[in-house]
Amino acid sequence: MQSIATSLIASFTSPMHIGTTAQALLFIVPLIAAISVVYKATKLESMETKNFIKESASLFSSIFVFILITAIVLLVFTWLVTQ
Amino acid sequence: MAKSSRDTNWPFLISVGLLSWFIPGGGYFLLKEKKRAWIILITISLLFIAGLYVGSIGVVDKILIADKPWIISKLSWYTAQVVVSPIVMMIGSVTASGQYQVYGKPEEIGQIYTGIAGLLNFLCIINAVYLAYVGVERSGK
Repeated sequence: MQSIATSLIASFTSPMHIGTTAQALLFIVPLIAAISVVYKATKLESMETKNFIKESASLFSSIFVFILITAIVLLVFTWLVTQ
Repeated sequence: MAKSSRDTNWPFLISVGLLSWFIPGGGYFLLKEKKRAWIILITISLLFIAGLYVGSIGVVDKILIADKPWIISKLSWYTAQVVVSPIVMMIGSVTASGQYQVYGKPEEIGQIYTGIAGLLNFLCIINAVYLAYVGVERSGK
């Protein structure tokens, strides 16, 4: 039990290894999910589970699609500049 | 219609604000919005803990020396992180020794996660105090 607790605490004292790769961009997903959930939790009048999940998913999709479009536009712009 | 200053229950508003700061979503517990409170508590805590896991506790960087050019940037992150809860200041005092330095991507992502968690809690504090002020009866209690 003590060794589990020690290794759990130790995992918070050394950073993860994250390379500069395309996969690193996926770290944005939990961030968008948290923003969507908290924002909708503060804004919705009624906290019915079904409606809350639907609204949060809708906001999550909107942010994600907008970021994806921005990334594609920047990629195309970079490609045009470097040609 | 706006409330007069005599109608405003200042001790209650301050309690809601302080509890929201001490425990993310805590103000909603006082307002008897339990579902909302639990969702906020779990989401903000998970985001903050994920930030600490990715970047280590070194991302909570309490600045002590004021003559560094990057002080404003670092101080801004620390301020946002402290908004999550005053407990973060304890982590700040542990990392102030400089023993847990972190650089590169883990620092970036860790700071963004923990900082955004603080800003989300700031939104919740303001919203909880506003609801306490207007005394809106919401459905779904």
